[in-house]
Amino acid sequence: MALATELSAPTAPPAFAWLRRVGWLERIGLAGVFVITLVAIFGPFFVPYDPMLRVAAAYLPPDAAHWFGTDEIGRDLFSRVVLGVRYTWLPGLAVIGIALLIGTVIGVFAGMVGGWVDALLQRVVELFLVLPSTLIALAVVAALGPGLINTMIAITIFWWPWYARMARDEVRRIRARPHVEAARIAGVKGSRLMLRYLLPGAVPALAVAATLDVANIILTLSVISFLGLGLPAPAPELGAMTSRSVDSLTVYWWLPIIPALVIFVMSILANLAGDGIRSALRGA
Amino acid sequence: MTLPATEPEAPVLSIRGLHVRLSRDGRASTVLDGIDFDLAPGEVVALVGESGSGKSTIGLTLQGLLPAEAQPEISGSIRLAGREIVGARPRELRDLRLSLVRAVPQDPMGALNPTMSIGAQLRESGLSADEVLEWLARTGLPNPRRIAADMPHRLSGGQRQRVLIAMSMAAKPRVLIADEPTTALDVTVQAQILTLLRDLAREHNTATLFITHDLAVAAELADRVMVLYGGRVAEVGHTRALIAAPSHPYSAGLLAARFDLDSDRSRQLGTLASEQLRARPSGAHCNYVTRCPLAEAECSERKPDLVRRQDGRQVACFQSNRVPDLLARVREAPSWPEASASEANALELYRIEKSFGPKRGILRPARQTQVLAGIDLRIQQGECVALVGESGSGKSTLLRIAAGLLAPDEGDVSWFGGIPPQVVFQDAVAALTPWLTVGEQIRDRLRPLGLSRHEQDKKIAEALKLVGVDPALQHALPSELSGGQCQRITVARAVVVPPKLLLCDEPISAMDVSLAAQTLNLLGSLRRSMGMAMLFVTHDLAAARLIADRIAVLEKGHLVEVGEADQVISAPQAPYTKMLVGAVPRLGGSQEKLQTFPPRERDQSDALAS
Repeated sequence: MALATELSAPTAPPAFAWLRRVGWLERIGLAGVFVITLVAIFGPFFVPYDPMLRVAAAYLPPDAAHWFGTDEIGRDLFSRVVLGVRYTWLPGLAVIGIALLIGTVIGVFAGMVGGWVDALLQRVVELFLVLPSTLIALAVVAALGPGLINTMIAITIFWWPWYARMARDEVRRIRARPHVEAARIAGVKGSRLMLRYLLPGAVPALAVAATLDVANIILTLSVISFLGLGLPAPAPELGAMTSRSVDSLTVYWWLPIIPALVIFVMSILANLAGDGIRSALRGA
Repeated sequence: MTLPATEPEAPVLSIRGLHVRLSRDGRASTVLDGIDFDLAPGEVVALVGESGSGKSTIGLTLQGLLPAEAQPEISGSIRLAGREIVGARPRELRDLRLSLVRAVPQDPMGALNPTMSIGAQLRESGLSADEVLEWLARTGLPNPRRIAADMPHRLSGGQRQRVLIAMSMAAKPRVLIADEPTTALDVTVQAQILTLLRDLAREHNTATLFITHDLAVAAELADRVMVLYGGRVAEVGHTRALIAAPSHPYSAGLLAARFDLDSDRSRQLGTLASEQLRARPSGAHCNYVTRCPLAEAECSERKPDLVRRQDGRQVACFQSNRVPDLLARVREAPSWPEASASEANALELYRIEKSFGPKRGILRPARQTQVLAGIDLRIQQGECVALVGESGSGKSTLLRIAAGLLAPDEGDVSWFGGIPPQVVFQDAVAALTPWLTVGEQIRDRLRPLGLSRHEQDKKIAEALKLVGVDPALQHALPSELSGGQCQRITVARAVVVPPKLLLCDEPISAMDVSLAAQTLNLLGSLRRSMGMAMLFVTHDLAAARLIADRIAVLEKGHLVEVGEADQVISAPQAPYTKMLVGAVPRLGGSQEKLQTFPPRERDQSDALAS
């Protein structure tokens, strides 16, 4: 008697099953990203010296008192790098977040509505995609004036279209799947269909892309600062620090190398974390 | 058995105490739990079991092809033509695969290189050009020369499978493994492929392991049947004897749930076992105990050994002498609930035309293929019509048009009262949104009604009870449920607000027999008790006859026959219908089409298995 068959509850998958799918390198990336974020938020409160003031002789090489040495006017490089992590990492995350928000809203809308709205939005997106990105960012910063906020605006302008396109394609793909068709037959439509049936399906791809992009954003921010268009002079932005001291590479190697290494490590960790998120979401 | 006891042939394959553990997400589970088994040269043995029984794992283990990422742990012994496979080096395994074991895969397209001609691929496996033509001809392919020059995508599924059989058999293997080689093929082709496999195996004295979930297919082909459940051997015996009198409750359950064109359609199908649960217990108890209708205390305390009986049958069950009573119980399956029908049409399809392909452009002629040509079909309220046809007949397209998912090029679709129908899809897991709980997905059907949340909860629980699912499961995600439970959930979603018309798109085609029988019972009962009209699309004539009042046969976009279910089956009019009816495998085992060669005495085979 099929109708009388009461089925018992399923066995739930074990907690942290997703973590098993993540390789150890990727776990290092995820942990590293977490640590960097902590350093960016809280690090500057615990640095040994004021990063803006002269605390010792200039050009001291790394030693026990000054772990990363001191710079050309005797400021503690370690304290400056910790503050620099904040000025590089947090704007990077903010740019990603804003670009993701704009891109997803436009992309999901285009993908769901389709027709001429979709065609129009796609052409707008393409317009942004074909612009030479760094050049535009430089033009924007030059027009608005240097500064962190302006740099962030400039990068966001050419970053969101990637997410818009991706969200749109994902939604188009999911829309054709049987479960969305089944939901439509069950009478689901409008914003409910968009937010509960389509958007969650696009999230994994977007999350992975965004995490992998953190490294790119950091590099772009650093490039703009390196060109002298980011934060104004006294502020310790990692790209700017590398740029200003690159002439002294052969003499005072720690001045350009250490900030550059920190950028490098952050980028690698962010990339590994992106791979980790992809692995974790794969089985879900 | 009439023969004097002669020296039995040495088995070509001998498996002893085979255990296989595979890991997924870091969790290892036992997939094969102590398999003992012998295969004599030239013998055809069917491995029968539902998905998860371990039948495919046996085939992969023999070839040394268990996926490396599953970190397989193999213990026990597999001797193939005197050589030990367990622990063999990759190089030896490759050698074995080249000369001793060959496999016919489930999906013939996936096993052929799409960029190489058939002839080139066969020559790559070491055949001369003449041998290629000879083997293609032997597998019954018309015009071997043309086939050899063709690319794989130009052949039909059946032709590709013949090519792969040629490729496997040409290597003159000692053992051939055929893992569900006909599931991807249409019924009419299935029978031909089975005949071919059996012919070639006999001719070349090749031992064949035939892996299938369908006892009727096994009955047509195999000398012996081995029934697997949960990685253990439940029962081994001669095909006919086992089908006539199964001794393990699981085999009995498979047989009871199996339906064919002779099944009684006035009542529900007999189902013995409850649905398979996700957790498969393995340990010092019978692993069928959670589903077994005969289970006693003993069954959960000790593991039953595979015991050999007087008549040569081997059974692993403490209660096997009670299995005949069980089969008697099946014959008293409940009858269908009272149905109600009325004259009004629930669905009316009027001169439906549909073509696919690029329309005529400015510089381009139209290259359209007609999928549906002038279909007229009416379904009355409370009536069930089965739409039958092979792949490519246009039956799924017609269902999508009837559901309003696809607009016809010409013609009209009208529903009773203009209320759109509900649909039960082929793949229930894919038809549920993976990130929403099943309760939420059912609730979305109730939203337009403006009920209070409490009333919605009540309706959801009622619908779940109606389809036989514990209402507590409404908080589960689809991935936490079994395939059968998912199918019940999609049915619950369809009927939580009773529709006038339910469209079912091959709802049982991917299911094991016991699950298919339960689903047919569920749909048949619901449509009668709720007075729903139903359009049941299937390629399975036996299922169509059981569920439907009328059968409509679709051939290449044309309705070639519509009539009362029994009449269409017993006295088919159209030649196409006759062919479909003739191709349905039956349990009786009296297949004229397989009697073209002299049956060989295989009675000594059981003696080898001890």
